Amino acid sequence: MHIPDGFLDAKTAVASGGLAVAGIGIALHSVRRAAAARRVPLIGLAAAFVFAAQMLNFPVAGGTSGHLIGAILVAVLLGPSGAVLAMTAVLVVQCFMFADGGVTALGANIFNMAIVAPGVGYVIYAGVWRAVGDSLRSRLFATAFAAWCSTVVASILCAGQLAFSGTVAWQVAFPAMAGIHMVIALGEAVISTLVVAAVAKARPELLALSRETPARPRYTELTAYGLLVSLGLVVFVAPFASGWPDGLEKVAVMLGFEPKAAATPLLAAPLPNYTIPGFGSAIPSTIVAGGVGTLVAFVVAYVLARALTPRVDAANRRGPGGASSRA
Amino acid sequence: MHNLLLNPYRHRASLIHRLPAPVKLLGATVCVLATVLLPRSAWPAHAGIGAGLLVVALLSSVPPWHLGRRLLLAEPFAVGIALLALLQDNGLQVFLAMLAKSTLCLFCIILLNSTTRFTDLLRVFRRLRVPALLVVTLALMHRYLFVLFEETGRLLRARRSRTFTTGRRHAWRLTATVAAQLFVRTSERAERVYAAMCARGWKP
Amino acid sequence: MNALEVQHLSYRYPDHSEALRDVSLSVAEGERVGLIGPNGAGKSTLLLHLNGLLPEHPQGAPAVHVFGTPVVEPHLPAIRAQVGLLFQDPDDQLFCPTVWEDVAFGPQQLGMREPELSASIVRALGQVGLSRLEERMPHHLSRGEKRRVCLAGLLACQARLLALDEPTSDLDPRGRRELKALLGILPVTMVIATHDLELVVEICPRVIVLDQGTVVAQGPTVELLNNEALMLSHGLERPHLLRHRHPH
Repeated sequence: MHIPDGFLDAKTAVASGGLAVAGIGIALHSVRRAAAARRVPLIGLAAAFVFAAQMLNFPVAGGTSGHLIGAILVAVLLGPSGAVLAMTAVLVVQCFMFADGGVTALGANIFNMAIVAPGVGYVIYAGVWRAVGDSLRSRLFATAFAAWCSTVVASILCAGQLAFSGTVAWQVAFPAMAGIHMVIALGEAVISTLVVAAVAKARPELLALSRETPARPRYTELTAYGLLVSLGLVVFVAPFASGWPDGLEKVAVMLGFEPKAAATPLLAAPLPNYTIPGFGSAIPSTIVAGGVGTLVAFVVAYVLARALTPRVDAANRRGPGGASSRA
Repeated sequence: MHNLLLNPYRHRASLIHRLPAPVKLLGATVCVLATVLLPRSAWPAHAGIGAGLLVVALLSSVPPWHLGRRLLLAEPFAVGIALLALLQDNGLQVFLAMLAKSTLCLFCIILLNSTTRFTDLLRVFRRLRVPALLVVTLALMHRYLFVLFEETGRLLRARRSRTFTTGRRHAWRLTATVAAQLFVRTSERAERVYAAMCARGWKP
Repeated sequence: MNALEVQHLSYRYPDHSEALRDVSLSVAEGERVGLIGPNGAGKSTLLLHLNGLLPEHPQGAPAVHVFGTPVVEPHLPAIRAQVGLLFQDPDDQLFCPTVWEDVAFGPQQLGMREPELSASIVRALGQVGLSRLEERMPHHLSRGEKRRVCLAGLLACQARLLALDEPTSDLDPRGRRELKALLGILPVTMVIATHDLELVVEICPRVIVLDQGTVVAQGPTVELLNNEALMLSHGLERPHLLRHRHPH
């Protein structure tokens, strides 16, 4: 999802850069206001942690493997603003040290992956967790579902920015990006949840948002992120919403006439998942595909949460810090 | 990836290496901006920028195989997105232009990265008045990347040496446990770093 | 005036485990004192108190005085400049991108500006014998070099009391020898918490034995460390160095 240089035009780069700066501003403000000086080193080290954790391979199939993206994981562990700063640092280092993601696209990449992903993810996580109830199981369920949603939303924004720049048509960019990432997001959900479950087992007091930690965010903070994400969606995605009907058909036609393009692995995998046979018009099939994807994510999240929690929610009740040793 | 981080060519003493970091950062930014803003059909200008970058690469005395390998490693992401552009009207032209632009920019950033230490870039960020909290985050991240890589390696080895089962499901749980352990250790280390910062008079 | 004065210091961690119980001791200016005892005796906790680093302070009169100043909130910045704390893991203490910046961190926080800043960094790096490493990244240093850079960071703040936590653990013999030589000549007061009893014999004329949070013995190093019964009952042993020097 790292957009390289040359794929965004000036207006898109500037607009998403502005949104990114606003998001980082919110994060800086709320970290400073929380006066949690203790957390400053933790944010820097968490950024290094994301980087190191991204190097861990999770075998998928046929010798390929996936890895963690990490936005939702840090958001759950550090709270949204800490996660925004940590992910921003990760993207800046990736850009300047690994040439991973372009310099002119840095704003867009930061907005998608360091602000929208943890922001959306955290809002969903906190909402679901509260709605379902105060237990480790509901927390894991919320983590999995939030991880899936945040990854997909970030990829849709990425597609919007590419289309808004006039680089890749929305009719191509949207199904391709969203389709691939609906699958990738399942992996992200499973990995994030496994890690959160393991942290909860080892040191339950480390999970943010437990009542006594300072990471518990204020509603204004979450509202600010929500507004920012909505603004991004309005700018980059809304203009294309009207283009959906003929769009998908057009792709299908093009794929039909262009066997070469259809054979490229990037498109061959997601499209069959995405356009459901038997639906003539594209709008219902988009909605149905999105709905089915969400449902699958929901079920996966539920199964994961059930599988990873012991019958009696004992891990959550162990006294905080009891096991840690100090000399 | 790890080897790339410990980029051995960052400490050479060529003409390019000795340029002040702000100059190099500015040069790279101008080069990237120019490449991005060029009209798609301006092929001679693209070629000109490419030739300029090649001259810089020669002057920097970084081995060409090193630059080439890094470029190849970074290229697939760009190609992946550029491929999407093929699926539209006059897609081939857009595809080629995107590929050329992104390759030039990648090359430029790889050159910057191979001749400039990240710590020097941090100093430039600080002088550019990037908010202190962000610079501290970046500096701490860069400092502890290596420490955490080594810690990850040790954790993985320790796990593997006591693991006698195979299977994908098992591998996922095991790797997730390593990641969780890594986070627990990272947060404990963050506490100690905080203490060390306070001990030397740090006030946020 | 004593460099360090601790009177009836008790401390419990937030999880209610008792770390220190009624500890009293004093260290004269210029003295080098070894702090020994088994793991979990409270050595590190005691050192953290010298710097006011533990979040909750006991109620009542301040138990720790450094150069006559009580270690309580309004004095903490001044205290922290005078007390240099060397942490167990040098990677925790070297948190800046380069050696130069790391040594500069303390003085900068104290408000020191150029040209004194550079002068004090150069002097501190010279004192620990690492003048040529200033532009290095901490990651590229050996463990012994990391320890010495940490020390330089403390010396650059003009620390008058060094509190060292396991300074020689995980050093190879050369690193250990160099560090020992350095500690032997630095003209500052030192409290050294360590398991390295040979280090104590060589550079600390006096030791304090801590066990289960209390001071169980203190006195001249050679005398105490030769007391086999005392050593064994507190998880320590008589160092070989002394066996050769004082055969019974």
